[in-house]
Amino acid sequence: MRLLSLVVAVFWALLMAPSAIALVTDLSNKRIEIRYSFDGADLILFGAVGSSAVDPVNDDFDVVIVVRGPEANTVIRQKAKVGPIWINNDSLTFPSAPGYYAVAASRPLSQIASDAVFASYGIGFDHLPLLARTSRGLAAPDSDFRSALFRLQASHGLFRQEQDTVVHIGEGLFKTDIRLPANVPVGDFLVETFIFKGGTIKARNRIMLAVDKEGFERAAYDFAHGYPFWYGLVAVLVALTAGWLAGVLGKK
Amino acid sequence: MPLYLPIAELSMNIFLVIGMGAVVGFLSGMFGVGGGFLMTPLLIFMGIPPAVAVATESNEITAASVSGALAHWRRQGVDVKMGVVLIIGGAIGSFFGAQVFTYLRSLGQVDLMISLAYVVFLGSVGGLMFWESVRAIVRQRRGIKPKLKPREDRHKAWIHALPFKMRFRKSRLYVSALLPLAIGMFVGVLAAIMGVGGGFVMVPAMIYLLGMPTNVVVGTSLFQIIFVTALTTIFHSVNTQTVDIFLAVLLLVGAVVGAQVGARFGLRLKGEQLRALLALMVLLVCAKMGVDLVVEPTELFSVGEAGSH
Repeated sequence: MRLLSLVVAVFWALLMAPSAIALVTDLSNKRIEIRYSFDGADLILFGAVGSSAVDPVNDDFDVVIVVRGPEANTVIRQKAKVGPIWINNDSLTFPSAPGYYAVAASRPLSQIASDAVFASYGIGFDHLPLLARTSRGLAAPDSDFRSALFRLQASHGLFRQEQDTVVHIGEGLFKTDIRLPANVPVGDFLVETFIFKGGTIKARNRIMLAVDKEGFERAAYDFAHGYPFWYGLVAVLVALTAGWLAGVLGKK
Repeated sequence: MPLYLPIAELSMNIFLVIGMGAVVGFLSGMFGVGGGFLMTPLLIFMGIPPAVAVATESNEITAASVSGALAHWRRQGVDVKMGVVLIIGGAIGSFFGAQVFTYLRSLGQVDLMISLAYVVFLGSVGGLMFWESVRAIVRQRRGIKPKLKPREDRHKAWIHALPFKMRFRKSRLYVSALLPLAIGMFVGVLAAIMGVGGGFVMVPAMIYLLGMPTNVVVGTSLFQIIFVTALTTIFHSVNTQTVDIFLAVLLLVGAVVGAQVGARFGLRLKGEQLRALLALMVLLVCAKMGVDLVVEPTELFSVGEAGSH
């Protein structure tokens, strides 16, 4: 394991040493606030590369942007027929699956670099490193459950791949849209940008994005989770008052 | 207009939520029922997590029962002593129901339990109600009048044999406290796991098992429902933090308006017809739940989050 990490480190140093491309990125909004009217958010990521090793004017480069949401304990359950009915029979827990995962690229991934390159960086649905909790400790997940996780999260708009494209504006400038759905988890997001040229990574950088509940929504959530008994009591009092008011208004 | 629900952690159209409240309110106003057995499945069907649907609906039922209970209170239609015994039973039942709910939720089996509970209880209550109302309609057409049993004979022998007899003046009953306690407990369990008030079980039990006079049955059952659903709300809030006040209040807004219209509409129909229609609706919800259990789902996998974020 140690040897492997050493090899990776050396490989990484060799890879990065000659390029030293200046890469800067920024987001249209680095802090997303979930308020009562929140229905998802669209962000724009802007980036620019300087022209040392990559000459943006003469030379095409590729951009891959990976957005990862906060990790959460995620359970995938599988139904099976028991007697006449279908019930959740089997389950697999991913202790640290990202709550959001989006990959945007300037071209289809297969045209940018080989599978092996993406695998070494863990980029994409097929290569995102994921471990599952099993009886033998953390291990590589069963492929059915792994693909179910990606399929289900993608159907909820939480996992996206090759749905958003990175657009070259020119002069080394590029941009892409990042779509966060309404059910996006709260927490810190990591936005990583990779510059590819000739099938290898030439530069990368990362910036943070925060998603948090704000104002009333945050207060209600914190209250419910921090003081659940008092929250329940307030809920009951609100219900009693609202019910009484409704009765009074209904008579008029 | 989207509205973000902070506890359910999803965004719903505000008019859709109020509309759902109004439709269920209309039906419950027309039939004179609480409507929890319609609202909870509807919320689940609309994508609200089952745990949030059950806990939030408990909260809404508290609100929806207040005005009805007050009206019955003013008409002297509440047997407080009987109500308190039913509430004590309900509190015990709701406590254990909420524990089972929390445990099954951690196992990922709470959806199954909700569906099974709906199929079993709605199926049996709806079936009995349908049978009874159809028989009443047929009898009425033929002009047969059912014989009324004398008051003394309404209790079966085993009920007389139960210990801890208590006098309930308002209900004009001298009966073991264990019986209303058990009824209350059973209703409490249903409230905690199904997100219902439990009137559909309690009212027949009060009439047929306890032999309470009909003028105090509805008021006393509403009186019990307020307290037991309030406790259920608190239990669910403490155990699973799944009570969404905003969702509950919005549903209530729709339900209040719907119930007014529904009640006026219901006056045009005869009692037996209303009961037959209600029974059909109960059986419909039961059938929907049952079919979903039996038919092979298109997606066998589902995603759930266990533990904290």
